[in-house]
Amino acid sequence: MILVIGGAHAGKTEFVKKHFNLSESDILDASENQNFQNAKCIRNYHILIQKLCEENADPLAFTERLMQENPDCIVITNEIGCGIVPIDKSERLWREACGKSSCLLAERAEKVIRMLCGIPAVIKGKCL
Amino acid sequence: MMILITGGSKCGKSSLAERLLQNISKNKYYLATMKPFGEDAHQAISRHREMRKAKNFITIEQYTDIDKIQIPAHSAVLLECMGNLCANEMFREDEIFYPVEKIIRNLKFLHAMTDMLVIVTNEVGMDGISYSAGTMQYISAMAELNQNIAQMADTVIECVCGIPLVIKGEIPC
Repeated sequence: MILVIGGAHAGKTEFVKKHFNLSESDILDASENQNFQNAKCIRNYHILIQKLCEENADPLAFTERLMQENPDCIVITNEIGCGIVPIDKSERLWREACGKSSCLLAERAEKVIRMLCGIPAVIKGKCL
Repeated sequence: MMILITGGSKCGKSSLAERLLQNISKNKYYLATMKPFGEDAHQAISRHREMRKAKNFITIEQYTDIDKIQIPAHSAVLLECMGNLCANEMFREDEIFYPVEKIIRNLKFLHAMTDMLVIVTNEVGMDGISYSAGTMQYISAMAELNQNIAQMADTVIECVCGIPLVIKGEIPC
């Protein structure tokens, strides 16, 4: 498992395509499709979490399942927790679920890469 | 020693802070600044209080005026968190108080009483949204507090999905 995190449009997907030599068809957009079992890479994981929250599903249980059923996957997710705590409860819960899922993925991942201004920083595991 | 830990929501800041203090068993205080809101909060707080007790923390709830707490000299304190303390000092009754000076003064007092002070804060200014004037003032106060505390601190850590990124000093062994 490799986790790639960073703000919106920080260059995460572009980096993954280039570095891991993946084409668009290798990357599952989790905002459109949740069939992660055979995906080499999943992007927009934070949107998937939002959908799970809306459906009252358990995002952490889903994340556990992903790690078990597709342990070599590259997961791309946005960092969304660095702002004002939302007044709306569902937004708040989504935000918290994103943070917790990222912690869970990072704990098990062999490598965690954080993108900032298009520059990858390896914050866990061996360098690139 | 003063350590500042910053990061976003649910990024693992608290567990990291607890880990940094895990080898201290005596006079270890958890300074909780969050005001309980509703019955659920009271239940969660008593649950957390018990959990921390098992980790040798004595919980003190102090929502404002953190210089009022009574602890012995050479204590270790985990302050959680600056985001709540700042809001509590700022939004009292109908007025808005700009709390930076007072909080920094109180922190200096606390720093002098402790051998180890770990402060958990939040990154609140990165969502790009324009809020009401009061909230914008809060974002500004938090930014000013974080910068001031980072200057005083020996170590500053940004926590990213549970991973500590040291941005000043080093993590004590």
